[in-house]
Amino acid sequence: MARWQAGVELVELILYDAINKIVVFAVIVAATAIVAKVLSLLIRGAFKTWVPAVRTNVQRVVSISIWVGGLIFAIEQLGLRTDLFLLILGLLGVATLLAIKDTLENIGAKYFSDVYVPFKVGDIIRVGNSAGKVIEINPITTVLLTDDKRLVSVPNTAFVREKVVNMTPRIWKEILVPIAINGTIDLPEFESEVLKACHKMRRYLDARFPPVLTVKGRGKRYVNLVLTLMVKDSSKKNEIISNVNQKISEIEDKMMRGRKSRK
Amino acid sequence: MVFPLLRQMLENGLLKDSHWISLSPTGPRKVLASGITLNHIQLEKERVKGYGRAKEKMWKTLHGIQKEDWLSDSLFWQDEFVDYTYYNRLCSELATQLDKENDFDLFYIHDFQQLPFAHMLNVIKPKIFRWHIPFDESLIPDLWKQSLSSYFNAYDVVIVSCQKYLESLKRFGYKGKASYIYPYIEDGIYKRPSRSEVEEFNHKFGIKEDARVVLVLARLDPMKGQDRAIKGFAKVTKSFPDTKLVVAGDGSFSSSKAGIGLSKAEIWLSKLRELAKKLGVENQVIFTGHLTHKELQAAYERCELTILPSVLEGFGLVVVESWLYKKPAIVSSMAGVAELVKEEENGLLFNPNNPDDLANKLSAVLANQSLASSLGGNGFKTSRQCFLGRGMKAEAKVMQDLVG
Repeated sequence: MARWQAGVELVELILYDAINKIVVFAVIVAATAIVAKVLSLLIRGAFKTWVPAVRTNVQRVVSISIWVGGLIFAIEQLGLRTDLFLLILGLLGVATLLAIKDTLENIGAKYFSDVYVPFKVGDIIRVGNSAGKVIEINPITTVLLTDDKRLVSVPNTAFVREKVVNMTPRIWKEILVPIAINGTIDLPEFESEVLKACHKMRRYLDARFPPVLTVKGRGKRYVNLVLTLMVKDSSKKNEIISNVNQKISEIEDKMMRGRKSRK
Repeated sequence: MVFPLLRQMLENGLLKDSHWISLSPTGPRKVLASGITLNHIQLEKERVKGYGRAKEKMWKTLHGIQKEDWLSDSLFWQDEFVDYTYYNRLCSELATQLDKENDFDLFYIHDFQQLPFAHMLNVIKPKIFRWHIPFDESLIPDLWKQSLSSYFNAYDVVIVSCQKYLESLKRFGYKGKASYIYPYIEDGIYKRPSRSEVEEFNHKFGIKEDARVVLVLARLDPMKGQDRAIKGFAKVTKSFPDTKLVVAGDGSFSSSKAGIGLSKAEIWLSKLRELAKKLGVENQVIFTGHLTHKELQAAYERCELTILPSVLEGFGLVVVESWLYKKPAIVSSMAGVAELVKEEENGLLFNPNNPDDLANKLSAVLANQSLASSLGGNGFKTSRQCFLGRGMKAEAKVMQDLVG
């Protein structure tokens, strides 16, 4: 009888402990979700003048990092050991990084050249000893078609290390603003708002080139766009870029809020 | 023109399936008709107005009747152009979604107001554009050139209505493939009306049996040049007092109350009535308004000749309809169909800005029965160049060249 009693108490203790751990796990996961969301909103608010696509990516990276940290902490509360798992994961990560170092450098360079280096497919550029028309930009290299119809593949790292000259006519006028909007945002409505905002800046823009929003790709959650503007005076370029980025951010926020309130 | 084309292509096995996207502020979202799925875009009232105004300004400018002013030149920077872009974006978004569901082989975009479509559509598939209004690069404002050029160059093929427009498009800087295909009519639907149907037509519009009838059939729009026809006609009424000028047609969708709500047609009609009165021919000019298909057939049968008086006209299929009934046509030299007219062989050409020129040609046909008969007969032979079957083959060839 006493043994039976002790057995029941032990089961109760184990159950109580398990429920306790699961509750703590759930609370940590919920807290992680809240912290990730709050930080994401803070980044959005604090960096309104950043290039919208960069800001969106920073939000994503911060959000993923918080989730990884939060989940590891939550798993530890369940009594599972994560140190060995983390060590193996870390070693694998280092090995992978070393193995694909060059590729990663190119991908990184591609990412930054997408955002900061002013050229796109169709432009005529010179980088190092190579010159030609850009016919492809992939994650590793940029392919140029030379005047004598040869293909030259330039590693993307070259665009960060070397001086790049864009020889396309009127290129000094061009502003390309990469934008990544949430896939749930009404694109035609977003475009209308962006165009109206740009029209208000028209005295600083070249009247022959009205603003154009182009869809560059669609992911599961985001639509990638590029806004093309042509300035009248190159000295105003930075000011216009900053203004446009801020406007886009405000429009996106307004539309996200509108979407939530409709829900 | 597109609906009969698609139906005929489906019937001939040249197409397996087709989806059509168009603006219909009041229609249902989706309708299946003759094997074609019609997808309707609906716009809020304010957006429809803005889109309509932008479209109207573009249309007028491309026809050379918009006064050169800052407002029209800077159209692409105005809020109404935002509505125009909004409509085109809705179309391209719907097309993207339909393409995911149906995996289309190609996109066929018809009419100038959808020009930005290919530029907006992020789908690597062949895109054909059918431009069916006049194309004259000299009428395009400098501030529009860059945008229009980008829009045109996003297409794989552009089809225009005649050779003159094709040459102008190339001069404008379009780099892709371009061709011209004469617009076409569904010839099978034009029947010879019965005697009683013609009598009914006479009775309805107060035309005496012995009266001679000159017919102008066009939408009520200043560009269609009904005023030119009245001016030319007024000059021959003394010589041919028993002749009536029948002006048939009403406004377009843009000018209807159910459509975009512009009152262009009503204003133009009152101006034409005033002009007829001023020239003393108000009793000889009959405005019929819209004609049913049966009345249209009776009108062609009843008339002795037709006039196409357009100031500028993409093509002018009414001339082909007139030829189907073996009626001679006097054609504005500013219409695309003028390319098919061989002077004094299958028709007569006139300068729409010169009423005397029209009056001389009118007199020539009204006074010479054998000339009228020969022009009508030869016109009938020419009309075959604009039959749906021929147009379908030409369109199908362009499509096959693209998709293989």
